[in-house]
Amino acid sequence: MKRTLFQKMLIILMLPALLAGSLLLFGCKEEPRVLNFALSGNPDTLDPHKTSGTLTFQTLKSLYDTLVEPDTQGRIVPALAESWEVSADALTWTFHLRPGVRFHNGDELTSEDVKATFERIKSEAVASPNAGEFASLTAMETPDPATVMLRLSEPYAPLLATLASGWGAILPAGLIASGHDFGSLPVGTGPYSLSEWVRDSKIVLTRNEDYWMKGYPKLDTVVMNIITERAVQVQGLLTGELDISYLIDKEDLPQLEENPDVKIERSLTALIMVMAMNCSDPLLSDLRVRQAINHAVDKQTVLDVAYGGGQVIGTFMDSGNAYYKDFSGLYPYDPDRARALLAEAGAQAAELQMVLPQNYEPHVKAGELYQEMLTRVGLDVKIKLVDWSTWISDVYRGGKYQLTVIGHTGKLDPDGTLRGYGTESRYVRWVNPETAGIIDRARETSGFEARKALYDQALEIMAREVPFLFLGSSYRYVGLRKQVTGFRMTPKLDTFDFRWTEFE
Amino acid sequence: MPARNRTLIFYLALTLLVILGAAALAAPRIAPYRPTAQNLEARFASPGADHFLGTDNFGRDVYSRIIHGARSALLVGIVAVTIAVTLGSLVGLTAALAGRLIDAGLMLLMDSLLSFPTVLLAISVVSFLGYGLLQVMLAIGVIYSPVFARLVRAEALAIKTEGYVEAAYALGGSTWKVVRRHIIPNLLGKVIVQCSITFALAVVIEASLSYLGLGTQPPTPSWGLMLKDARNYLAQAPWMAFYPGLALALTVLCFNIIGDTLAEKINPRLNGN
Repeated sequence: MKRTLFQKMLIILMLPALLAGSLLLFGCKEEPRVLNFALSGNPDTLDPHKTSGTLTFQTLKSLYDTLVEPDTQGRIVPALAESWEVSADALTWTFHLRPGVRFHNGDELTSEDVKATFERIKSEAVASPNAGEFASLTAMETPDPATVMLRLSEPYAPLLATLASGWGAILPAGLIASGHDFGSLPVGTGPYSLSEWVRDSKIVLTRNEDYWMKGYPKLDTVVMNIITERAVQVQGLLTGELDISYLIDKEDLPQLEENPDVKIERSLTALIMVMAMNCSDPLLSDLRVRQAINHAVDKQTVLDVAYGGGQVIGTFMDSGNAYYKDFSGLYPYDPDRARALLAEAGAQAAELQMVLPQNYEPHVKAGELYQEMLTRVGLDVKIKLVDWSTWISDVYRGGKYQLTVIGHTGKLDPDGTLRGYGTESRYVRWVNPETAGIIDRARETSGFEARKALYDQALEIMAREVPFLFLGSSYRYVGLRKQVTGFRMTPKLDTFDFRWTEFE
Repeated sequence: MPARNRTLIFYLALTLLVILGAAALAAPRIAPYRPTAQNLEARFASPGADHFLGTDNFGRDVYSRIIHGARSALLVGIVAVTIAVTLGSLVGLTAALAGRLIDAGLMLLMDSLLSFPTVLLAISVVSFLGYGLLQVMLAIGVIYSPVFARLVRAEALAIKTEGYVEAAYALGGSTWKVVRRHIIPNLLGKVIVQCSITFALAVVIEASLSYLGLGTQPPTPSWGLMLKDARNYLAQAPWMAFYPGLALALTVLCFNIIGDTLAEKINPRLNGN
């Protein structure tokens, strides 16, 4: 094809016009604020009552609200309930709902929705894995659309924590009654609504214009890209395809820090990293042997090398927890003292087996460090790797092990962390009726101060008796593009909060 | 390639393997450090005067670990190949010499074993038996036995109809005597070639399983385990991956060269390819 001179001239003249036109278009229309996030896997379902999967609750946090919610420090603050009071006998809890809250389908939130939701989670047909937390809830009353009363069979202080958890999400009564498929089409009151879920690829969240927090959320769209490989997330962050990745390893830091467009935010996880010792084992039932193991380990070094750094703890509570009390000075790193204690117990050169969950590389690394440190005080430790299901069945449920390395997730309520300890039922097989009794009493006691006093006692006995080697709470590294601000995480629920997130 | 060069390469490979074997045997004496000794002050030290091939993420000496790792590799090779040869030959001979029904049954079993992808089968066996070096050796031995069974059966069937074997029978020799005096000596060459190749495969599978965390248990040094540790630090400490990888590649290459050269010597038809 041959163009005439006129046509060529026309094209040359039109080019600047086109350019100006497109610039004008961009200038007029504000660019939608889209955040690209990396989620580490595909949620099994989006029904908050039918799973205990973390990925589900990480997604649902943006779609649903709960009556109360944890703030960044883990304190329980109002959410859908503006206020609440507890009766003197601690058996009746009254919640006053926030007015004018609407579900994504337009229904207005009333006390009937709360009642229907909790009836759903308790129903046998739904068979929620979290139904047990609602066991003491025996009756619900709705005196008016803005008030709901929960009646309990016994005092249950962890109730607020349960209501603040992901499975405390409030669903619309109308859709519950019609048997709506919440698993793939969630309808809540949350800051975003679901517009698309392409399984194993992405979940697209769109801003809820009627959200009850005025002016929030800040973003128009959040795209949760499902990326299972950490290395791919890191590359995405470096190239700008991703705005946030929460799966950053300490090893990735040098590479990310070199990039001027990326920043790293470090926070403390709610994890309680431990080496568990089976106290029903003849050797480990001797307190001196357990003490020796505690003295033999340089905790800060293990935290740094295996877990990417963190804060050393001395008892069974995550260090960022309001109920945490520092006992880390009780058994300082002192290999000579460890050798002396082993000699006293007649356990020099004793053989021990350490079972490690093969799929959790940090725990395996920590295990190798522990092994070397214990070897240096004279113990003969052999490592055995097992797969995760074997670990759960043999070690955690069966108690068939001597030493093992694992991390416990700190819970919103200390009862979630401590319940059952001091009895045979827990995998450390540490029997201490005094501690078990204190933990039971604390569950039925209300008020932070009163409960803290009780938990302080229980945690001190555990710190002295060391059924575990308490290592510490590790750091979490979140990588963000420089202009992203206001990304929040709730450590104890391991969920993300995009309400405050925006681009500068 | 001229025959002289080939012979040279063959002897080079053999020498390397002899050195490797000697190093593995003498590992505790010649390794400068205890292979599991951690030195957390000297993590990721680059190759130099103190650490010939550098240190790993726990400050362990890479050179000492490679020498000790050779022990796992060679031990797995020897034990696994012995199991495979013994089991395979027994099955192959039985199939060749016993009746048609037994032959068909045994070969069906062997073929079904062969039909599985090797690593997948190894993973299943190890998952069933539990993780560890012993289990890995057993698994590899069982997995490679069909190769020997088929080889031995085919050769035995061919030899069985040779005139001199028939003559031996005619002279009143028992089956066992015929097997011992005529069939086994004639098989030996090909079995040795197959052993060399299987040895190389066994070393690779041990490394693969250890890489997946199913083989050698940490902190026992194994090349596969070293590569597994190294993959998180490729940019930071490339020597952690390079040297164990080199040791693994060289070992496998040497066994393959030896196997190929022997095969050519035994079967002259392969010459001049």
